[in-house]
Amino acid sequence: MLPEFFEFYNPTKVVYEDGVATDLKPELDIIGIKKYFIVSDQIINDLGMIKKVADGLVEAGCEVTGQYLDVKQDARLNDVKTCADLAKTSGAEGILSIGGGSVIDTAKAANILFSEGGDLVDDYSGAHTLTRPLKPHVVIPTTAGTGSEVTMIAVIYDEENKEKLAFPDKFLLPNLAVLDPQMTISLPPKMTAATGMDALTHAVEAYVGPQASPISDAFAIGAIELIMKNLVNATRNGEDVNARGAMLIASSMAGISFTHSMCGCVHGMAHATGGLYRVPHGVANGIFLPFGMEYNFEEIKEKLARLAPVMGEDISGLSEDEAAKLAIAAVRKLSKQLNELDALPLRLRDVGVPEDGLEAIAEGAINDGTSFYNPREMDEEELLPYIQKAY
Amino acid sequence: MGMFKTAEKLEEVLVGFFKLMADTPVIADKLLKSNLIIRFNYADPDLVVVVDASGDKLDVRPHDTDTKAIVEMSMSADIAHRFWFGMVNLTKALTRKEMVAKGPIPKVLKLLPAIKPSYAMYPQYLEANGFGEYNITKAYTPPSA
Repeated sequence: MLPEFFEFYNPTKVVYEDGVATDLKPELDIIGIKKYFIVSDQIINDLGMIKKVADGLVEAGCEVTGQYLDVKQDARLNDVKTCADLAKTSGAEGILSIGGGSVIDTAKAANILFSEGGDLVDDYSGAHTLTRPLKPHVVIPTTAGTGSEVTMIAVIYDEENKEKLAFPDKFLLPNLAVLDPQMTISLPPKMTAATGMDALTHAVEAYVGPQASPISDAFAIGAIELIMKNLVNATRNGEDVNARGAMLIASSMAGISFTHSMCGCVHGMAHATGGLYRVPHGVANGIFLPFGMEYNFEEIKEKLARLAPVMGEDISGLSEDEAAKLAIAAVRKLSKQLNELDALPLRLRDVGVPEDGLEAIAEGAINDGTSFYNPREMDEEELLPYIQKAY
Repeated sequence: MGMFKTAEKLEEVLVGFFKLMADTPVIADKLLKSNLIIRFNYADPDLVVVVDASGDKLDVRPHDTDTKAIVEMSMSADIAHRFWFGMVNLTKALTRKEMVAKGPIPKVLKLLPAIKPSYAMYPQYLEANGFGEYNITKAYTPPSA
């Protein structure tokens, strides 16, 4: 059945090649500016990635006017302000960010202030508040999970008020996303597995969500197939360039899908678990994904049945219910394989969540903004047994 | 010309409904937990309404342009009317700027499950309070001039 309405908008150019992050001249020539400010973090710097990219920029005839390398876990409001000020005073014409979701989101939000000035919270809180394109933003992701290089949202943590602020705006979509498996080679197995499960959750929730469209579905299905075939290999052997590349592409495809059709209860439970017990987002998503699929089963079984063969399951001769259950089993099988590599916990009890904290997770999930986009109406009492099973 | 011919009629209908929600614990209790102050800016006809959940009781204040709101929602009166029937696709409304939301969006999204019961209440409220001509869930007849 076709949706009553949908919009698809993704002007971000995506380039993929092993090693392309150090050879961007054709893409940078089209963007047309010469002076870039680099945003990243110390770990990426210590791994020598920034120097390689910066050298490539210079070879491409560009100049690095300065850099901000102090992005911490969870993009912070104060970092955004500092980063924007430094970019402005450096004389840059655009931003190049190298990192995971926190780095990319910091750069996106800093680009608002860098381009337009003002105060991020007072002037730009809300949805689609920007009125014109920002300065160019080139993104080189170093994890394969958030998909932030192709999404129109930046999530920033306000330390003073202890809250996460979301800035959804189509002008936050980067100009260029550079998918280079060399940039994820050094990602440790646990981070590879967790970010990969984050990408899988994006794709599955986007595919079964009420805002899905035939276009977002196509990206979700493509992402799911790549993840199911490559996440274990990328986790087991970090230097498997093909698996790393496939995961980067999958993460971006999942990002394109969920930036249009949103996420549901799995993200709601993961947000609550992360906020209450500091469980990393990808780990929490990985634990909750099969339980969220079960919670929504009656509403999404038709689509789950279609996902099962994409996930490598043989559904010939099976009923819709049986095929749909195979899709959930396939996710569990993947999680178990990652667990056997000591890369992904399977239970909440394994990540420091106390048994008497499960009701608070249910309450947090119900009150999370994602509950609005869940295919089944979310009810605290009905959700709690699934969280208990995940414990 | 929108569905509401005068700001007075819009105020009568919508502010009356907001006050009904304020007196409905299943909705009001959850809204109060948010501590939000929301200003609705309606156009065609123009009306400003503040819904203040920062106190012990949900306070509905038409024409309040002085209070510093945490969230500002701007939309046409017709979109607002359709919203309370549950007929507005929020993603569509925001992306096409039929609704403009300023402020912390996650907090606004968190309120949406809380106000879901109001979608069923709105047509009943219209019928029960002599505003049946605005009930678009039945065959719509334009209000007489």
